[in-house]
Amino acid sequence: MSAPRNLHHLHHNPHSFDALHVNGYHLHRAASRTPNRPLTPLPSVNSAATTDADLGQDEDPKVSFFAALLRRNEARLETLYGLKNCEDVHGSSTDPAEVVEERQDDAPQTVTAPPKKPARAIDEDDYDDSEGEDDEDSADPSPLKAKSTGPLAAMSLSSAPMVRQMCSTSMQAIAKQQTPPVLATKNSEDARKKLEQDKKETEDAAKRSFHTLFYSAENDRDAMSDQKKLEESERQVDVEMSGQGSSGTPSSNAATGNGQQGTLSQTNLGASSLTLKHLIARIDMKRDKVVASDLELRSLMSEVRKNRSKWASEDRVGQEELYESAEKVLNELKAMTEHSTAFLQRVNKREAPDYHAVIKHPMDLGTMTKKLKNVQYKSKEDFVTDLNLIWSNCLDYNQNSEHFLRRHALFMRKETEKLVPLIPAITIRDRAEVEAEERRQHQAEVDMDGGEESDDEPIISSRGRKAPGKKAKKGSTAPRKAPAGTSENSLSSEGKPPNQHLAPNGLGSNLKNENLRAESEAATERSHTDPITPPFGINGMHISSSSQLDPDSMDIDGAESFINGAAAPTAEAPREAEHEEAGYKIWKQVTKKDRARVTAERHRLFKGNEINEDEPALLRTKAGMRSWLKKQKQAILEGAAGRRRAEAAAKETEEAAPSGETLAEGIEGEEESVLPDYYDTMSAIPDLPDRLRWIEKTPGVVEDASDEYLRVLPQGLFTSPESSLVKKIGDNMKQLQATRKICSKIAVVKQMQIQSQMYHGQFQKVDPAPLVEQDVEAHVMNDGGPVVSPEVVRAALRRSVGEIFFHTGFEEFQPSALDAVTSLASDFFVKISKTLADYAATPKVPVPKAVPGGSGQVDVTWKDRFTQEEMILHTLHENGSDLEALESYVKDDLDRSGTKMVQMQDRMKAHLADLLRPALTDAGPDGSNAFNDGSEQFVSGDFADDFGEDFFGFRELGLDKELGLASLAVPLHLLQNRMHNAHQSQNQSNMSSNLPSALPPPVPLTPITIDNIDDQIGLVQQFFRDKLATNNNKPLIEDDDLPQKQRFPKPRLPPTGKISSPRKRPIREPGPGKGHPRKKMKLNNGDATATATATAIAPATATENNNVNKSPTGKLKLEPPNHTPATTTTNMNGDDVAGVDAVGKENAPKLPSKEKGKVKDKEKEKEKEKEKEKEKDMVNGGMISPESLEAT
Amino acid sequence: MTEKQPKYRQEIQQMMFVSGETAEPSSETTTIIEEIVHTQVVEMLKRSTVLATRRGSRSISTNDLFFLIRHDKAKLSRLVTFLSWKDVRKTAKDSDDKGGDAGDMGGDDPLGGADGGAGGGGPVVGDTGKKNKRTKVILPWDISSYFTEQVPERDDDEDEDEEEMNAATILRLKTADERTKNMTKEEYVHYSECRQASFTFRKAKRFREWAGFHLHTDSKPNDDIVDILGFLTFEIVQTLTEEALQVKAEEEMTKNRSGEANAASKKRKRETGLFGEQEEGRTPVGPKHIQEGFRRLQIKPIPGRNRVWMGGPRALQRKELRLI
Repeated sequence: MSAPRNLHHLHHNPHSFDALHVNGYHLHRAASRTPNRPLTPLPSVNSAATTDADLGQDEDPKVSFFAALLRRNEARLETLYGLKNCEDVHGSSTDPAEVVEERQDDAPQTVTAPPKKPARAIDEDDYDDSEGEDDEDSADPSPLKAKSTGPLAAMSLSSAPMVRQMCSTSMQAIAKQQTPPVLATKNSEDARKKLEQDKKETEDAAKRSFHTLFYSAENDRDAMSDQKKLEESERQVDVEMSGQGSSGTPSSNAATGNGQQGTLSQTNLGASSLTLKHLIARIDMKRDKVVASDLELRSLMSEVRKNRSKWASEDRVGQEELYESAEKVLNELKAMTEHSTAFLQRVNKREAPDYHAVIKHPMDLGTMTKKLKNVQYKSKEDFVTDLNLIWSNCLDYNQNSEHFLRRHALFMRKETEKLVPLIPAITIRDRAEVEAEERRQHQAEVDMDGGEESDDEPIISSRGRKAPGKKAKKGSTAPRKAPAGTSENSLSSEGKPPNQHLAPNGLGSNLKNENLRAESEAATERSHTDPITPPFGINGMHISSSSQLDPDSMDIDGAESFINGAAAPTAEAPREAEHEEAGYKIWKQVTKKDRARVTAERHRLFKGNEINEDEPALLRTKAGMRSWLKKQKQAILEGAAGRRRAEAAAKETEEAAPSGETLAEGIEGEEESVLPDYYDTMSAIPDLPDRLRWIEKTPGVVEDASDEYLRVLPQGLFTSPESSLVKKIGDNMKQLQATRKICSKIAVVKQMQIQSQMYHGQFQKVDPAPLVEQDVEAHVMNDGGPVVSPEVVRAALRRSVGEIFFHTGFEEFQPSALDAVTSLASDFFVKISKTLADYAATPKVPVPKAVPGGSGQVDVTWKDRFTQEEMILHTLHENGSDLEALESYVKDDLDRSGTKMVQMQDRMKAHLADLLRPALTDAGPDGSNAFNDGSEQFVSGDFADDFGEDFFGFRELGLDKELGLASLAVPLHLLQNRMHNAHQSQNQSNMSSNLPSALPPPVPLTPITIDNIDDQIGLVQQFFRDKLATNNNKPLIEDDDLPQKQRFPKPRLPPTGKISSPRKRPIREPGPGKGHPRKKMKLNNGDATATATATAIAPATATENNNVNKSPTGKLKLEPPNHTPATTTTNMNGDDVAGVDAVGKENAPKLPSKEKGKVKDKEKEKEKEKEKEKEKDMVNGGMISPESLEAT
Repeated sequence: MTEKQPKYRQEIQQMMFVSGETAEPSSETTTIIEEIVHTQVVEMLKRSTVLATRRGSRSISTNDLFFLIRHDKAKLSRLVTFLSWKDVRKTAKDSDDKGGDAGDMGGDDPLGGADGGAGGGGPVVGDTGKKNKRTKVILPWDISSYFTEQVPERDDDEDEDEEEMNAATILRLKTADERTKNMTKEEYVHYSECRQASFTFRKAKRFREWAGFHLHTDSKPNDDIVDILGFLTFEIVQTLTEEALQVKAEEEMTKNRSGEANAASKKRKRETGLFGEQEEGRTPVGPKHIQEGFRRLQIKPIPGRNRVWMGGPRALQRKELRLI
């Protein structure tokens, strides 16, 4: 495909020169570009069209042969008429048909050549020709040509009329001309749309990737500096422009000079009026009904049309579209600062002194901008040529293939290729001309086809796009192939010629010459890249300014150097492209500008390496925040995080919508930024939790959302969780407690056996409360995190440690020990959790997994290095423990010891039963045997019920049940006595069982009475008399005969054998001292009834045993201690012991007055009284006690 | 060990014989064993003193020694059995006034051979009638010590713990039985005499001096302590010997294996006398075996005892001497 092109190239050059000289036109680019056929001076374009179509459709050699013949003849005719150019072109036809034909007979070709030669030879070297023809021959057979010519044919169609127009303006041709361009524009438009879409897609993809990838900011600085340069250059351009302004405008003015307004409504609207397309179509349809004139309509339209860009010009058709897209492309190219920086400005002489020697036509993006602003471009062609000139200049100058600029140039060229199709192929034409043309055409149509035209042809189609040409190839594919193919040819044939050619010329007309040549070449070149024929010739105003010439001629070099360099660099470029990841590249490209902006903003804050304090702070903008919010929403919606999140997000967006709107207020223009939101930290809006939102239900009243975020600490955080282990431990502890209780009973019983007397408070009550783990009291927290409270946690651990202590058998322990162990335990647990955390944080390991399809593909999944079990096992091992140890602990220390404890308890129970047996057996089921031991309580009425039943706390110990007694009304002294005696007798029987019986008991002493007092020795007579007096002259009782309780405890010899000190305690006091004063106080109050009743009841109790005593059980128990002294008192009263106080005497007489029958009635009274007593005790107790002591 | 002079050579030899070393060990071997035993005894004394001090007492009690070996349940049970029998003996001596017999009984039963398996003697049989009366030693960590009141023994409360311990004892007795199975009457008499070997029996004074009691404890340990230590020293020697024998067996096995490889190439050379190998097999345990055995015993993990890592790099943790 490329070969034929080259061939064209070579061939056409001479022709164009020809044309130049013959016609004096230099618009032969068109001629040269368009292959020969179109130039046929056929009067009927139709026929030409048909031939073309034929040719395009079937390549029948014969048909084409005839066509060619026909054309040739016509060409000759034309020549005759002086239209040489037509003929010239003819000769070098590349049409496959012709080629075939040419191959068939070489002669005709050569024959046809001569006629043009004379024309051409005027000012030309011959080299072209000869070489060209050689090439042609060699290249002709290429079958690819067929394709390339297709479009060319189409082009020729469109260009033909124009040429003709010059030769002989044929209306029909123009009429025909209109259709193809529309098609062409449509095609190109589609392509453009597609390209734009692609671009948008990549941008979108990049944007999407922002949500999944974080890009670092390392390139931002470069981006910023690049961007700075770009801006600088633009500013410079602006400055220069403003200077040139006056000189620049005239040229455009000149073009728009004559204001020959067309009357045709069809032409009235400039390009890009797509928005109004339908309206216009409508108007066109009903044109006859519209009253307004064309002029009016047009002005109306242009008024309606807003957004007309600065390029819009009424007079220059197509300018707006062309320039808009051109500017876009240019800006985009400039924006690729990474690569474009070097091309932004003119090459400085200082930088490259020899540059201008090598590069004849320098070009740069800045200059192009200037030119654009000066409206110097007439067509896409011009623009693209300039662009390519830049790159090729660079490649040309920097021959070294390693040069970094080459890379940039190649990249830019590639980008250019991508972008160029975006520019519509428009040639700007003067409105006047266009309208004139249209008018003519219209007339012709009217003449020829009548009203037919209106249906087929969209009249409103923008005239500017009339540029004939059609994209048969896709712009992007063609150029890529082109260079590769052309390279050989150009190397051999064209490599040097231009230079040689240039050397001699250099000046004036030669320059022009050159220009033409350059243009023609460029055109051919273009015909590869973008096979649209720019109809330069029509306007007749070619860019002939010298400034224009330079670049053009440069283009030749550029093209060549491009070709030269093509082989190496093209291979190089992709390789380089691969270095960077595709996504990252896109990122860099897409976000470059924004990044630069952001970085620059940030950069402003710094001065040198320090923060510049004077610089105003960065402020967030509403626009930024809004876009941030928008992106956030979008990301959430897009996010693959699952439906739930999406729903939440949707809800949030709903809620957030109002706030977004408020933000939107006062936004002038929102600049679209592709930067990911995380890049623009200034605009970030943090997520506010719902509960913190300030909600006003009714205006002025803020809803208190505290109950939403304050939560009550769940129970059980600080107690042991439910588990079988905990349950076992708990059971064991209960067991222990129960056993301990039995233990204490045993201790009491044993003590009773040993001790002859018992007193109140001798035994501590053992009533262990069940152990309960106490939780912390209700607690309110205000966030969802864990409770961080070292003290509480430590206390909990302490408690647990204590439990374990208890479980291990410690009944009590020192706090310091507990603390020490707690510290050790917490230390250990911290270590365990740390180790566990370490294991949990181990990096995951890849697990290659073959895909079942068997394709050999390996799917890598990632999994944890350790399973949870492994983690725990490792942790245990690291910390010196293992499962066996734990298991054996549970087995040995919990289970087995649990069973052991049960055993132990059983044994304890049995033991206790053994101990109690003597008492139980002796007493008999009804307690009647209790009399057997000769206890005097029964006689003396010394019974317990007055002082409460549970005097010794036996009930609390649970002994009552052990003893099988329904109640403890039986004075437990008896029990104690019995047990003591039994024990004693047991022990004695072991040792000296027969000892007491061995001796006869001594004769009992006769009690001292008033009668026998005289028998006593005189010294003690008075003493006894006193005693008797106090005892109401009743007989005195021997100390040994006193009930046990009232005897003096016999002084025991301490181990030392000495009686160290006299007894300090009052002898009379049987129990703990505190009981005594109360007794007195009670009697002092004259409240003797209670005691009296007590004495009265006592015998009854003894006889009735259980019955009577049962009733008061519960209540009497209330205050057992208070009643102890009462008992003593009654005893004393009854027994008439020495030292009985006066009060006691007073009570005594009252006793008989009480009747036994009333006893039961009075029980209630008694209780009440007791309660009173209690109160009084509280009041008086303290004061009275000293007296009572003295009294005794 | 302050004294250079080995004092218990014969006892150790006897003990080793009981433990399965049939050949006569060299004096180096016995010396090294004696040294090891000495170190162990000193260590035990030290630690139990520390324990006693912690408890607030100045004198070592039996419980302290129990505590030291608490992880070796089998040994502990043997010790307990030993003590209970000792008690039986004492009461028997007191009540029956058969003092003459007690002497023999005292030494014969360090293994707690209540069961007649290897008990080897008439003396023991005489005591079996009083077996039921022996008091059980209550260890401080027994359940019964949780409570303030002691419960009289019952006959039926042999729990599984004891069975487990007894199982270990029975295993021991079984090995002893294996050893004595093929003995002649004279040999067996010798064997049972050897079983009576003790560091302490009837030489309590010597033992005290040898172990340096006065150096390590302030108080004068009572006879119980000395007896327990005597029992434990026997255990130490036995364990060491058994371990050393195992080491030696392994060594010979590897030797034989490599020797076989060599022998395959040089078959001729191996054809020595008919009794060559037997001769070889009867070489006594050497010091190196004892040392290796001791080393192994030091690093062997104790079942049921966790060494909880309480911090600091492990390498820096001082390893205390382990009681065998």
